[in-house]
Amino acid sequence: MCASEIVLEGKKIGKKYGKLEVLRGISIRIKRGETKVIIGPSGSGKSTLLRILGLLEPPTKGTVIFKGMDVYASNKLNLNKIRSKIGFVFQQPSLFRHLTALDNVKLGLKVVRKMRDDEAKRKALEALRLVHMEEWIDHYPAQLSGGQQQRVAIARALAMDPDVLLMDEPTASLDIELTWEVIEVMEELAKKGITMLVVTHEIPFAKEVANEICFMSEGMIHECDIPENLLRNPKTPRAKAFLKRLIGEFGGR
Amino acid sequence: MSSFSWLSWWSPFIFKGFLMTLKMSAAGLTGGFVLGSLLALGDVYGGKITKAVVNAYVEFFRGSPLIVQLLMFYYGIPALTGYEWSAVTAGAITLMLNSAAYQKGYFKGAMESIPKDQLMAARSLGMSTRQIVLHIVLPQTYRIVIPAWSNEFVSLTKSTSALLIIGIMELTATAMTISALTFKPLQVYSVTAIIYFIWIYFALKIIEYIYERIRIPGLGETKTL
Amino acid sequence: MISLSDFLFLLRGLPVTVSISFLAFAIGFILGIPLTFLRLYTPKYSANVAEAYVKLFLGIPVLVFMLFFYFGLGKYVAIFRSPFLSAVAALGFRSGAYQSQIFKTAMNSIPRDQLLAAKALGMNKLQTLRYIILPQAFIVALPGLGSEIALLIKDSSYSFILGVLDLTMHADILRRAHKLFFEPYLIAAFLYIALTFPVANYLDKLGSKLNKKYALR
Ligand SMILES: Nc1ncnc2c1ncn2[C@@H]1O[C@H](COP(=O)(O)OP(=O)(O)O)[C@@H](O)[C@H]1O
Ligand SMILES: [Mg+2]
Repeated sequence: MCASEIVLEGKKIGKKYGKLEVLRGISIRIKRGETKVIIGPSGSGKSTLLRILGLLEPPTKGTVIFKGMDVYASNKLNLNKIRSKIGFVFQQPSLFRHLTALDNVKLGLKVVRKMRDDEAKRKALEALRLVHMEEWIDHYPAQLSGGQQQRVAIARALAMDPDVLLMDEPTASLDIELTWEVIEVMEELAKKGITMLVVTHEIPFAKEVANEICFMSEGMIHECDIPENLLRNPKTPRAKAFLKRLIGEFGGR
Repeated sequence: MSSFSWLSWWSPFIFKGFLMTLKMSAAGLTGGFVLGSLLALGDVYGGKITKAVVNAYVEFFRGSPLIVQLLMFYYGIPALTGYEWSAVTAGAITLMLNSAAYQKGYFKGAMESIPKDQLMAARSLGMSTRQIVLHIVLPQTYRIVIPAWSNEFVSLTKSTSALLIIGIMELTATAMTISALTFKPLQVYSVTAIIYFIWIYFALKIIEYIYERIRIPGLGETKTL
Repeated sequence: MISLSDFLFLLRGLPVTVSISFLAFAIGFILGIPLTFLRLYTPKYSANVAEAYVKLFLGIPVLVFMLFFYFGLGKYVAIFRSPFLSAVAALGFRSGAYQSQIFKTAMNSIPRDQLLAAKALGMNKLQTLRYIILPQAFIVALPGLGSEIALLIKDSSYSFILGVLDLTMHADILRRAHKLFFEPYLIAAFLYIALTFPVANYLDKLGSKLNKKYALR
C-alpha cells in the first residue's frame, strides 16, 4: 500500500444555494489510512462539504477527485459506482425503516454489488460484528437506540468496502450516554486503518485518533494541523475563539 | 308481499351480479394501484412539467363524476378512434383511470412521510433512482398507506354501481332488473344493500389483517396526537 | 363539433345539479351535527345507534339508497314519488353520516391538554365545548366540508339514473338527439370541475389559512 496515495480530494470547491455562498473555495485531501477531523461552528458549511465530497450533490465551482479521477470531468462516468466506494454516515440515523439491521447492511451489497444472498449475508455479518451489533441483526430500526442505529449505519457503509468513510457529526443527534458506544467504534475503525473524514466535536476522539484536524468557518478551511497544535495553539483568531468556547464548555471530558 | 320466495329463484343472478361487482372493483383497484403509484412518483419526485401534468390529470378525474367519465369513454372513444370496445372493457379502464387519481393522493401522502435522509443514504450506497424507488420508497409507501388506502377500496366498491349506466350487469344493475320483474323493490334493494354492507366490512377486516401481518415496528406510526 | 345552442342547452342542467347538491348538503349538516353529539357525548345505547347509522351509509352505495327510496318507498311515501327528492334524500342522509365523520375527527383533533387546561380554569363540559372545542373544530373541519360539497356535486349525477334532468342528463340527451358521443360529456365534465374546484379549493385554503393563523396544527 502506497502510504501517501490520495483517495479523495476536493479541489477549490465552491457552493452557492441561490445567492447564499456556503463554500468559498475549499481544497482538502484525504490520504489512504488517515483519519481527518473537521471542526467548526454550525452553519459553516461542513455538511455541505461532506455531501459534495460524497458526490451527493455537485459543487458550483471546483471539482472532486476520487483516486486520481476527476469525477466531473466527463459525464460518462457512472457516479453511482463511485458513490458506492465512498461510505457516508449522516448526522440523523438514516436506516431504512422497513428493513432489519441485517437487511439494511445487505441491501447495498445485493442491489449495487449484485452479490448472492448468502455472500451478502456473510459480508454484512462481518461488518455488523465490527460495530458490535451482531446480536441485534433481526431488529428493526425503531427497536434500536439511537447509538445502535448509528452503529448499524456505520456497518452499512463499511460493508461496501469503501475507500473512504465520510461521517457527518455521527453522534450529534445522540444523548450523551449513547455517544461513547459510537465513538468507541469509530476509534476502533481508525486504529484498524480505515480512511476517514469525520466532522465531529468530540475532542477526545480527535485527540486520540486524528492525524490532522481542520478548522472550518464561513465556508473556508482556516487551518489544518496535528491535534496537539491545533487544539492547544490555533494560529487563527477564529479557531482560537471557537476552541475556547468548545473546550471551555466540554473541558471536563 | 313479505314473502322472500323470489330470492331462491333469483339468487344465482344476484351472485353473478356480485361477482361482476368484485371483478370490476378488482380491476379498478389494481389498475389504479399501478397508475396511481406512477402518478404519485411523478408528483413527488418529478420535475415541474411532470407535476403539472399529474395535477391536471388528477383534477380532471377527481373533479368530475364517474358517471360522466364512464359515458364519455364508453361512447366517446369508439366515436373518436373507431375502436369498438365492450362495456366491460370501457368500464374497467375508466374505473382504473378514476381510481388512480384518488390512489395517487394516498400514495403521495405516504411517500412524503418517508424521511429524505433515507433517500440520501441510499444514494450514498450507490443505488440508482430506479433502485431507490423499488427498494426504499415503494416498500415503505405501500405499508404506510394501507389504512388510508382502505378508504379508496370502500369508495371504489360503492362506485362500481355507476357501471349500470353503460349496461354492465353488476350487483345494482341486477337488482334493478330483478326489482322490475318481481315488483318487490323494497326487498330486492334491501338484500342488495345487505350484500354490499357485509362485503365491504368483511373486506375491510381482511385489509386490516393484512396490514397487521405486514406492518413493521415503528413504520408509519404517526406522531400526531 | 358542439354548437353554441347545444352548450346553452347543457347549461340548463346546472341549476338542478346545484340544487340537489345544496339541499343534500343542508340536510347532511342538519343531521350531521346531532349525530356527532350522539356519538361523542351520549350514553352507549344512543351513541351506538348513531354509529350504526354512519356505518350503514359508509358501507352501501348511495345509488342503492336512491333506488330504494324512489322505486321502493315511492309507493308509500309521497315525497319519494319525486325522483328529484329521492335523490336529494339519499344524498342528504348519506351526507349526514359523512359530515358527522368530519366533525367527529375535527373535534377529536383538539389536543387533550387544552381540555385539561379548561377544566383547570373551572369550565364545565358545556363551556369547554362552546368556547374551546367547537371554534377550533370548525376550522379543522373546513377542508373536509369542502371535499364533501364537491363529492355531493359529483354524486348528484346518480340522480340521472332516476330520470332527473340534471347536467349529466342534459349531456346524455345531446348524445341521443345529436349523435354527439364525446363532446357533451367532456364539456359536462368541465362544468362539474368548474363547480367542484372552487368550493373544495377555497375551503381547503381557508382552512389552512385559519389553521396557520391560530397555529392549530
Ligand atoms: N440544500 C440547501 N439549500 C439551501 N441552503 C442550504 C442547504 N443546505 C445547507 N444550506 C445552508 O448552508 C449553510 C451551511 O450549512 P451546513 O453545510 O449544514 O453547515 P454545518 O454542517 O457546518 O452546520 C447554512 O446556512 C444552511 O442554511
Ligand atoms: Mg452539519
